[in-house]
Amino acid sequence: MARVNEMKGSEPTRRLAHVWDESLCIACGACVMACTMTNQPEMMHRKEKGWDSVASNIRRIDGVNATGKPSVLLVQCQHCDDAPCVANCPFGAVYRDDDGLVRLDAEQCAGCSYCVTSCPYNVRWFHPDSKLPMKCMGEGCLDLVAQGESPACVQACPAMARDFGDLNDPASSVSLTLRTKRSRRLLEGSGTEPKYFVVEGGL
Amino acid sequence: MTPADLTFQLDVAHWGWSIAAFLFFVGIAGMGSVAYAFVRRTAVIATIFVSLVVGLLLVVSHLGRWWNLPRTLFLMVRDLELNFGSWMLIGITVLGIHLVLALVALVAHLPFLTQRLPWLAWTERVDASKAFLGAFAFVGFFATVYSGFLITQAVGIPLWNNPLIPVLWVISGSIAAIAVLELLYVVGAVDAKVSTFGVRLGMALDGMKLLAVLGFLHVAASYGSAGARYGATLMTSGDLAWMTWAMVVGVGILVPLAIGAYTVLREKNKALLTVSALSALVGVFFLRATVLLAGTFEPLVL
Repeated sequence: MARVNEMKGSEPTRRLAHVWDESLCIACGACVMACTMTNQPEMMHRKEKGWDSVASNIRRIDGVNATGKPSVLLVQCQHCDDAPCVANCPFGAVYRDDDGLVRLDAEQCAGCSYCVTSCPYNVRWFHPDSKLPMKCMGEGCLDLVAQGESPACVQACPAMARDFGDLNDPASSVSLTLRTKRSRRLLEGSGTEPKYFVVEGGL
Repeated sequence: MTPADLTFQLDVAHWGWSIAAFLFFVGIAGMGSVAYAFVRRTAVIATIFVSLVVGLLLVVSHLGRWWNLPRTLFLMVRDLELNFGSWMLIGITVLGIHLVLALVALVAHLPFLTQRLPWLAWTERVDASKAFLGAFAFVGFFATVYSGFLITQAVGIPLWNNPLIPVLWVISGSIAAIAVLELLYVVGAVDAKVSTFGVRLGMALDGMKLLAVLGFLHVAASYGSAGARYGATLMTSGDLAWMTWAMVVGVGILVPLAIGAYTVLREKNKALLTVSALSALVGVFFLRATVLLAGTFEPLVL
């Protein structure tokens, strides 16, 4: 836990972010399943009751777009620079680490669910066994990133619709994508400064 | 937009009836502490103390990892990670202080205890001081205000991001405290003049509560985001409308108002006062419950 505590007080040196290109996504669900498989394999055959869907840190929202065609939106923790869950956690269990990722220190979590009601993106779910508020990134993906690999969702995507990298690095693939393609952030008006970018296609 | 497009906070965060009851008892204890500054009776402080204990037990039992709470608090203090930007931590602190002050006042009202344990006699002196009564009233008032801001700061639930909630909680908490005083009058635990004053004050507060409830719904329905508008619709004409109109407004406001008017204009009747007080308490509880249950997350796809 010392490693966690050391990271708690420090200012982020990187700003790791997720990019999802909706124009490339084929809605196959591979990222959703890879997330569960990597981070909470014990939930592979159990449902997340609140969302009435698979227990994954990626939530799939099906809808209909303005032209009447079916659409899909994949939502996960936005690792907000100004995260309400960090601000509201009474016990200091939710924090931002050196990489700018919003993390949970399970030792200091009492399960009050204030982080759940504080998240405008509705991306947290309660693990039925540990009673911890789960979200991206899970321990499995954090291990992958620590080893210099991409998170499971990025690795699993067959359409190359997902990317992950450092916004502070102008040469990173995510920085390049965001410079060259039109993108948006979800609920930008909420003031949370999310770091999850939805790429809409070409310039 | 249909309910299928929305996630109710109840399904994910589970802030339901037990949290409504917690907010209800905090309101009674909080505004009861303000009343205690004027009505220093054993039954009043006992009610405040019991309400606080019950409220705290409810909220702790709601914790998903309640067994980890002592460790969490220990680590928080040891590492000095005190996030006073969180209304929940402010609330834990205020409720802790409130509980200690209530215990001091309660002990002062237990002569069999202070006589057997003379070292507790200081509680009687403290309880008689205006400074203590003022501090107790302030902490109680602040605890009630906290229970409102606890909700408004949950930014994931747009219906709750409404500044009228703390105002509503204070008004309805005051109504609950007066209702408790009326019930204590009925059983002979407080004086008739307290009841007479309570009936008149309660009527004024009922009027204010009605305005505040309507104002809350109007602001949410007219100026709120999609999630707030949907919550307001649920409360006014949806599945929760019966709670709003029948329990909050009908039972909780109109019945006490009618009985209050009868009491002021005609005569005081203990049976009617009992009905009025119980109705008011039911309304205060359902107000909290309906606001909680109507909370949904903002839809990300319209």
